[in-house]
Amino acid sequence: MKNKWFLVSIMLIVSIFALAACGSSNDEGSSNESEDTEESTSDEGSSEENASQESETGGEVNLYTGRHYETDQELYDTFTEQTGIKVNVIKGDDDELIARLDREGKASEADLLMTADAGRLYRAKSQDLLQEVSSDVLNNNIPEKLRDQEGQWFGLTKRARVIAYHKERVDEEDIQTYMDLTKDQFQDKVLIRSSSNIYNQSLLASMIALEGEEKAKEWAQGIVDNMAREPKGGDRDQAKAVAAGEGDVAVMNTYYLGKLLKSEDQEEVKVGEQLGVIFPNQDSTGTHVNISGIGMTASSKNKENAQKFMEFLTTEEAQKQFAEANYEYPVNPDVEPSELLKSWGEFKEQDINLSKLGENNDKAVKIMNEVGWK
Amino acid sequence: MFIQIEDLCFSYGNSKNNTIQNFNLTIEQGEIISILGESGSGKSTVLRLLCGLETPSCGKIKINDQVMTDDRRFILPEKRGIGMVFQDYALFPHMNVSENIQFGLKGFGRKAKQKRVQEVLELVNMESYAKRYPHELSGGQQQRIALARALAPKPSLLLLDEPFSNLDADLQIKIRNELKEIIKQTGITSIFVTHDREDSRAIADRIITMRDGAAHDWNSICTSRYDQKANQKETVTIT
Amino acid sequence: MNPLDTRLPDGLRIELNDALKDVSRLKLFRKLPGYMNIWSLFSLIIVILILLPNLTILINFFTQEADNWAHIQEFILPDLLKNTSLLIIFTGALTILIGTSLAWLVSAYDFPMKKFFKWGLILPLAIPPYIAGYTYNGILNYTGVIQSTLRNQLGWEVNQSYFDILTLPGAVFIFTLFLFPYVYTITRGFLMNQSASLVENARLLGRNPWEIFFRVVLPISRSAIVGGVSLVLLEVLNDYGVVQYFGIPTFSTAIFQTWFGMNDLNSAIKLSATLMFIVFGILILEKVLRGRKKYSYSQAKVRPLAPIKLKGAKAWSAFSYSLIIFLLGFLIPFIQLVDWMFLTFDKIASPQFMQLIWNSLLVSFTGATAIIIFAVIIANFSRMHQSILSKSAARVTILGYSIPGAVIAVGISTVFIQIDNLLFSFYESIGMEPTLFLSTSLFMLVSAYVIRFLAIGYNSMESGFEKVGNKFTEASRMLGMNLTKTFFKVDLRMVKGPLISGFILAFIEILKELPLTLILRPFNFDTLSTKAFQYASDEQIHEASLASIIIVLISGIAIYIFHQVLEKEPN
Repeated sequence: MKNKWFLVSIMLIVSIFALAACGSSNDEGSSNESEDTEESTSDEGSSEENASQESETGGEVNLYTGRHYETDQELYDTFTEQTGIKVNVIKGDDDELIARLDREGKASEADLLMTADAGRLYRAKSQDLLQEVSSDVLNNNIPEKLRDQEGQWFGLTKRARVIAYHKERVDEEDIQTYMDLTKDQFQDKVLIRSSSNIYNQSLLASMIALEGEEKAKEWAQGIVDNMAREPKGGDRDQAKAVAAGEGDVAVMNTYYLGKLLKSEDQEEVKVGEQLGVIFPNQDSTGTHVNISGIGMTASSKNKENAQKFMEFLTTEEAQKQFAEANYEYPVNPDVEPSELLKSWGEFKEQDINLSKLGENNDKAVKIMNEVGWK
Repeated sequence: MFIQIEDLCFSYGNSKNNTIQNFNLTIEQGEIISILGESGSGKSTVLRLLCGLETPSCGKIKINDQVMTDDRRFILPEKRGIGMVFQDYALFPHMNVSENIQFGLKGFGRKAKQKRVQEVLELVNMESYAKRYPHELSGGQQQRIALARALAPKPSLLLLDEPFSNLDADLQIKIRNELKEIIKQTGITSIFVTHDREDSRAIADRIITMRDGAAHDWNSICTSRYDQKANQKETVTIT
Repeated sequence: MNPLDTRLPDGLRIELNDALKDVSRLKLFRKLPGYMNIWSLFSLIIVILILLPNLTILINFFTQEADNWAHIQEFILPDLLKNTSLLIIFTGALTILIGTSLAWLVSAYDFPMKKFFKWGLILPLAIPPYIAGYTYNGILNYTGVIQSTLRNQLGWEVNQSYFDILTLPGAVFIFTLFLFPYVYTITRGFLMNQSASLVENARLLGRNPWEIFFRVVLPISRSAIVGGVSLVLLEVLNDYGVVQYFGIPTFSTAIFQTWFGMNDLNSAIKLSATLMFIVFGILILEKVLRGRKKYSYSQAKVRPLAPIKLKGAKAWSAFSYSLIIFLLGFLIPFIQLVDWMFLTFDKIASPQFMQLIWNSLLVSFTGATAIIIFAVIIANFSRMHQSILSKSAARVTILGYSIPGAVIAVGISTVFIQIDNLLFSFYESIGMEPTLFLSTSLFMLVSAYVIRFLAIGYNSMESGFEKVGNKFTEASRMLGMNLTKTFFKVDLRMVKGPLISGFILAFIEILKELPLTLILRPFNFDTLSTKAFQYASDEQIHEASLASIIIVLISGIAIYIFHQVLEKEPN
């Protein structure tokens, strides 16, 4: 018995060496390839079979993305089918991808950067990591305030940061604005994620832009005073805490609520059904909206393909898929949101250029630290 | 002179006191020397310096007119052609007796290797144990194999570090006599280190005692008892 | 004669000669031949490779002004210190308690299913703490299986705070359950082989089992415990996934927040440096506490401790204790993961998963192999030479373990990109388009693993070589083999056990590793852990379960092999 296991481990060791050798030859292979052709894939990793064929027909485009949705891959595949252009992807954290782009400089392989937050795109732009794209398709498909004025980045999907409330315990009338969350009535009733969450940072940054730093800090202080518990967990956890009675109102993104309602787990669906949705500030500044968006990197070596890909993502077909699959609002005004989102009604959005989110991000983080928002 | 050691000193690590201090010793070819001393007297260190496992901080060692170490040269231990029997034998547990002995036989053909293994096994009376593994042998048997392994490459000098310390008392006497027999048979120059006077007396032609890191003639300490033997050789210098 | 001598006045010549003598007394010259070998060369190269990325970070620390440092000191640092010390103290104490008590039970007694528990209790290591955190929250929260059963079957609405695991005590619970095997394994290895005579003596002196445990077992296995618990604490300090999800500000979350939220890399580095000071404090403390351990080893002959057979209630309480820990630390979260996997299997499972498994195995195998080769080189070098270089080489291996993964990632990619930039002119001179070759290859990722986890391989090899001692090496050299031949023919055979177990531990760590893989991988390269994280970070914990389960299964098999190797070790 023991001998057998020892044999097994010896075999493991042997196979390691085989693997190690094979790994290095893999690298060599890719280096040769990058010598021959301009568009070099650094690693054949997951889809080497079709790589060579496709690069002959349509070339490729290299994408850094902070969006991790399974459905995005389907979009990439559709694009490849239509154009023959292969989409190479590195998924990662928005911030880390930007940091990586920055370090790679002009030699970076990436052609496109996709993030789940406008502030991040703003930062990439301010670090000179993006370049201008002038495309009528993009300008027609995307409303002006959802793209950069200099054409360096473009929104792809919208998500609204809304207030979810318990239908039985809270009267809809009492909670109409973000400011209402700080009312005494909701003492120890407010559920919200930690300050390390980018959606909260952007929400506060938008308030700084609209109402000034002082007002924003007052609001943040009010939120902290009214918190039902120390901030923890994700957006879904806030919703569950409302259902569980830990608090009455929760701040969350629309698509998380969508996912709760469509969950495989019946208990989660029940939670979603207990909640109502408020689009705050309809009579004043509008509901906070953030985007996930895309920009062409300054170092792009496949500009033409990259632009084609960007344009593809804003077409009705792609936008529809975004809308249906992930409960996000499409940026293309010609495309309707999903049935679920439509059932929540139309709403007025904050009217600021999304660059402000990035400009005010570090101020927001400091304010949160100062008021003790964990 | 076969072996000349001049003004050798050595200290371990950061210790300020020298373990070996101005050590001088000369040995004739074919002599059997015993270095006698209490534990910590530095007697094992002398062996380690001789065979090159430690580097002296000053002094000179010459073996057979070849400088092993001085201010300019240092011959690596594997190049010195010295055989050593370790205190706990250090037989390689993953090799059998024959493989252990063959280990040191470089530049021998396969046949020649086997012949030599046979020879040394005969010498130590262990012919039938060639295929055994070290853990299948008793302490005394292990010791004989260790000796055979050290002798196999025909070293010019044999060092033995406390060769009897791991043996039972009655076995010790038997092995001791055998050992002397074997060494005499091969005529090899040998140095062995021990803390046991009986061992020294039984085997050695000449006894050196270690005190304060230097060598002293046995004679100078215990003149009355061993005058005869000690008087024969007066090569030990006291510093 | 030295030509200088003739020209110099007598007085000076004497002084010069004295000085030369001093030099030789320093052994500098005399030691040289011993140094000039391939081992020191390799070790030096490895040390430089490891130091380079870290130096690029540290240089920033001293040269750059950090804008937000004052702000951080005022508002963030006190909280960080408080949370971090609470986590360390309680996790440390609990892992010691659970780890050693189980190690003691399993080595000193026989009770039902002990054979299984021996290695079953290492299995919690197979579950990455952040997955465990998500899973336990999934079990305990409002929609989890416990509360929904109570609510739907019995109509009970329970107080949420009883079931809230997203707290500091909750984090301690997670860390304790999923990291205690470090203490357990190391302590058990020690008790099995080293304690027999002492424990048997204590038994003969009429001490009862509790007294033996507290007054004999704990003190004598102190060095083993300290070794294990310092691994636990380093893991805790380096964790990002658990504390981030649980909403507990610690150094790793603060580093991310200042770096990305405030866009202030320099403050982030200052925080990392502060963390490094804490880590080095722990490591020094470990050294001090370990003290003269070296002397306790080799001499005495290894004799296994003979276990006593427990009967009746005692046997069952030992069994229940082990079972509870095993259930909490492995089986319960595993079953929950399997349950979730069935919920989402059709949606998630695809042939693509084979690719993920292959990728995970590829990087884990290559990474662990590289780690163990480097570890062997350095451990062998520092064993043979007691010098400043060898000592610092040994210390440097721990460096990567003490720095947050994201910071290592920055350092290493900076270095690789610079090397690539140097290669630019070369590419251009042979008429090629400049590209990033090294910094977009798997090579960079594997190098990062080596820096991060070298300590694991090194510790295993160091203690392996320590146990064997130098005598076989010396015997081989006396038989005319040079160092390198000796190494392959003798040394390597002697440390087969530690070699395999070090390899397996490094393998498991890489399999579970997240931040480095996430940021340094090449295009289109996903592993099981990036896949699990991708879902988990979007709060799709159900979807994350399949990838998690495969990680757990592969690690589980590796742990079983690890256990078998360990069992064989003493012969």
